[in-house]
Amino acid sequence: MISRQLLAVAFLVISVSFSPVGAQVQVQTVRVGIDVDAGTLDPRLARDSSAYRATDLIYDGLVRLSPDLKPEPNLAQSWQNPDPKTWVFKLRDGVTFHDGTPLTADDVVFTYQTLLKPELNAPLRSLFTPIAKVEATDPKTVVFTLSSPYAPLLTYLEMGIISKKAVEGGVDIGLKPIGTGPMKLARWDRGSRMVLEPNPNYWAGASKLKELQLVVISDNTARAQAFEAKDLDLIQSPLSPQDIKRLQANTNFGNVVTSGLGITYLNFNTGEAVVADPKMRRALAMLVDQKTIVGDIYQGVDREASSILLPSSWAFSANIKQPTFDVAGAKKAIEALGWRMAGNVYTKDGKKLNVVLSTHSEDPNRLQTVEFMQSIFQQAGVEATVRVTDWPAFSTNYVQKSQHQVALLGWLNIVDPDRLMYGQFHSKGTLNWSKYNNPALDKLLDEGREALDINVRKAAYGKAAQIIADDVPYYVLSYQGYQMFHAKALGAVRANPRGYLRDVIAFQKK
Amino acid sequence: MLAYVVRRLLLLVPTAAGMVVITFSLLLLIPGDPAAVLLGQEASKADIANLRATLGLDLPWSTQLARYFGALLQGDMGRSLFQNESVSSIIGARIGATLELAVAALVIAIVIGVSLGVLAAMRQGTKVDTALMLLAQLGVSIPVYWLGILLMLAFSVKLGWLPAIGRGEPFGSAVWAALSGRPAVLVDSIAHLLLPAFALGVNSAAIISRLVRTSMIEILQEDFVRTAYAKGLRRPRVMVRHALRNALLPVISIIGLRFGHLLGGAVLTESIFGWPGLGQLTIAAISQRDLPLVQGIVLCFAMMFALVNLVVDLSYSLADPRVRVA
Amino acid sequence: MKKLGSLRINLSLVTGLVISLAILFAAIAAPLIATHGVDQMDMRNRFAGPSLAHWLGTDNFGRDLWTRLIFGARVSLLIALIPVFVAATLGTLVGIVAGYFGGWVDLILMRVVDVFLGFPALILVLAIVAVLGPGILNVSLALVVIFWTDYARVVRSSTLVLREQAYVLAARAVGASHMRILFKEILPNVWGPVLVLATLGLGNAILTESALSFLGFGVPPPQPTWGWTLAYGTRFMRSEPWLAIISGLAIMVTVLGFNLLGDGLRDLLDPKGLSRGPHTRPIAKR
Repeated sequence: MISRQLLAVAFLVISVSFSPVGAQVQVQTVRVGIDVDAGTLDPRLARDSSAYRATDLIYDGLVRLSPDLKPEPNLAQSWQNPDPKTWVFKLRDGVTFHDGTPLTADDVVFTYQTLLKPELNAPLRSLFTPIAKVEATDPKTVVFTLSSPYAPLLTYLEMGIISKKAVEGGVDIGLKPIGTGPMKLARWDRGSRMVLEPNPNYWAGASKLKELQLVVISDNTARAQAFEAKDLDLIQSPLSPQDIKRLQANTNFGNVVTSGLGITYLNFNTGEAVVADPKMRRALAMLVDQKTIVGDIYQGVDREASSILLPSSWAFSANIKQPTFDVAGAKKAIEALGWRMAGNVYTKDGKKLNVVLSTHSEDPNRLQTVEFMQSIFQQAGVEATVRVTDWPAFSTNYVQKSQHQVALLGWLNIVDPDRLMYGQFHSKGTLNWSKYNNPALDKLLDEGREALDINVRKAAYGKAAQIIADDVPYYVLSYQGYQMFHAKALGAVRANPRGYLRDVIAFQKK
Repeated sequence: MLAYVVRRLLLLVPTAAGMVVITFSLLLLIPGDPAAVLLGQEASKADIANLRATLGLDLPWSTQLARYFGALLQGDMGRSLFQNESVSSIIGARIGATLELAVAALVIAIVIGVSLGVLAAMRQGTKVDTALMLLAQLGVSIPVYWLGILLMLAFSVKLGWLPAIGRGEPFGSAVWAALSGRPAVLVDSIAHLLLPAFALGVNSAAIISRLVRTSMIEILQEDFVRTAYAKGLRRPRVMVRHALRNALLPVISIIGLRFGHLLGGAVLTESIFGWPGLGQLTIAAISQRDLPLVQGIVLCFAMMFALVNLVVDLSYSLADPRVRVA
Repeated sequence: MKKLGSLRINLSLVTGLVISLAILFAAIAAPLIATHGVDQMDMRNRFAGPSLAHWLGTDNFGRDLWTRLIFGARVSLLIALIPVFVAATLGTLVGIVAGYFGGWVDLILMRVVDVFLGFPALILVLAIVAVLGPGILNVSLALVVIFWTDYARVVRSSTLVLREQAYVLAARAVGASHMRILFKEILPNVWGPVLVLATLGLGNAILTESALSFLGFGVPPPQPTWGWTLAYGTRFMRSEPWLAIISGLAIMVTVLGFNLLGDGLRDLLDPKGLSRGPHTRPIAKR
């Protein structure tokens, strides 16, 4: 009897002394829900959000962007521009790859030289083409020589650096990545789960986690449900608006709701007769009920856009404004161009005013937006035809071939204004599906691209955005929001509009 | 018999070849450039053209087809354009899920269909019979995915009894886990399987019940049954031993046809319930224009369908000596 | 056979006829019996439940569901009638030729049928619609491709049986040409099962079209198709289930009507059960 009581007391004492009463229990495993499995873990070939998020943990780049998109030193300790076309980076000491080999300038050179080779078929190669030459002047110094000054370069140099030795030794880093980053790949069940574990030798301090899991649940609502059921510790965009509202209201979870780095917009094909005149484009833009679309169809998870500059960007200016919703004004403008109402439709020279609104079928919000727009157009006397196909047919076979009239789609990852404007609006731009040609705009875009002084860039992009807001080759519908929900046990997680997870892996302070 | 089997298998070859040619042509005709989709919106035209050349997408149709057949004869189904893996390994990883769903649906269909059909036949002409047949009509008329959505709404969202999306542990390993003392795994596995299998199987259950009922009624009027009664055998015995066995013959033959329907219906059910099988994969692959993967899956479906039909035909002729397999 | 509860059969026929005619009437008279405009949006009144103003409530744009559904019936019936008619014609032709002439003709034609049968139906339709692009005509064409095989097989089986009939053999003996026999002796006896199959096929067509819409490939908005209403409904299902429920119900009732009609017709026009296809009768031979 006595021995049993003693045992019970001993048990109680032991259990109490081992349970962290009151103290925050260090989370061992973090399970993050993602919508698609990463296509590859080679940072040069990454093209989906999961690949970006995973490679951000496994690799380091020369720089790292802060949550407000300013480049900060990462593998590069410092950098200089002896002249506008030359960038010199000094690498940090004491960095090793996961396999123990030390990082040298040769690895950086190898990464970018191979990236630029057309045979690699890197999706973002066009962002780096101004690089004429990359060389290592000593084991810790890398020199980039550009064919022309290129200010956005620094933001793109966030890409992970790969190990020359590993790749040349035949390792397929798409499946077995070797980087210098804070996490390593432990296991990858393709299509369902990726397990990462800490790199104990990380130069900025090792993570305190045991492992980080990326769990694939493609259905947005299912992922939200799994999170609510506590099967996941963290989920982020893309999420469906109903779930976002519900999760935001739930105080049991931490949340981050902020602006993202994407836009939803209308692409006007200035080469098509019906929308060739900027005045007509302005008139049609005035028929877009932004407030209802963003507020009701998107349920307010995105923000109404005012111009082509993102509010999260240093280049943003609230003074630049696109045409706003004004049906009466639109009708006046259309009539000023010589159109007259015949029955229910505006006609001129015997032809009806007919516009083709197009989008892709996968996104129900975009489908609803186009249906809604058609309804308003028709009520205002503009005959609108809706054309919907799936994404590959819509983008690669229609919009990218400039066969559209008014297309609803989006852009993502806009880390620098140049990325949203040069290719899309410059007469020499490779993404100029609107066929827009404006020499004044060309000059401003060149200036914004080549000036290294951020104030000069800001001024140039401000003027450029005003031209775009007036001429409306694009009408920006909304700035995409970014939402993240996480278990309270993870503490306070910083907003990071690209969904990068470094904040979650609980670094030890070094 | 053997000659028949061999002949059927040989006939499979031109059929399969025909299917490959049709799939190939269709996929090449679908608008949309896989290279451009792969590289994303920000790639330049030059980069896209480069990738097209690497993937051989600009070669003439006949060359591409010849290459595909050549590889196929060596057992190589090609490489997925979007996933960095061979088509055969991707299919291999997913086929178990689809088969599990189809078989579960078939089991549910047979169990429910036969029981209801027998019941209706035994109570022929009564209100029970009419009610059951009306139920069967509803079962045939209901859209599979609507039923799936309603089931999900009722049992997952409102009642929370069953999970809505995804798959538990594969049935085989779940049973093993249960036997090794972890029954929760098996319960979870079945919980995930129940709704999609039921949604998928209802259609077939309805059809089978009608068939069983008609069959049973016919047979119950036949002479040999009356003879059995005359010999003094009791009703249930007559039912089961004599009537049911013969009534099930047409059911066996319809299983093959239904299995094909189930495989096709799995496409929808997998989409709704997030079941990670071939059906869901096909939709994704077509949406991405992942030509080699779509081709591989279609071929796979065709083979499965043909094999099931062959097995069914054989077992049917074995079961019913009156049928000669020509 | 007639003893199989002839009351029940008549019930099936009558109920099916009533439902089918009701849907037909609703589709044809849609502009007369609609309560609102088809495209009349009201963003302040989305997802409303049934009320006096909106008999069946409103959809995700605040459009009246009663109006949308009856105009949607037009599209659904078109999508059902066109492919079924074309498929029945094509399939019957192929079936008769294959069944009657036999031999190589039969072998080759049936291989062609097998090729199409081997595809999972939904995937084949999807691929064809993807190639042809969206639209009522294109979807109809795609549906023909998966439906014609049923008719071919059934008609072939029937022809195989019919060509051994005494009157056919007699006609041959007298020296009648093949064409004459096909059209005067065989075809008239085959159309019974074909009509039954066609009626049953109407329901199948509607189901397939709505499945296509659900997957994003059918006749696209803003056409008021039942499939797209249901597709939108499923997206909002967790918060606003009524849209999904009512549009699915519309589909089910219509399909039920056609199926009941087809079943009722079967007992009238196809007493031998040929329309059930080969295999389902114990004494059927391959």
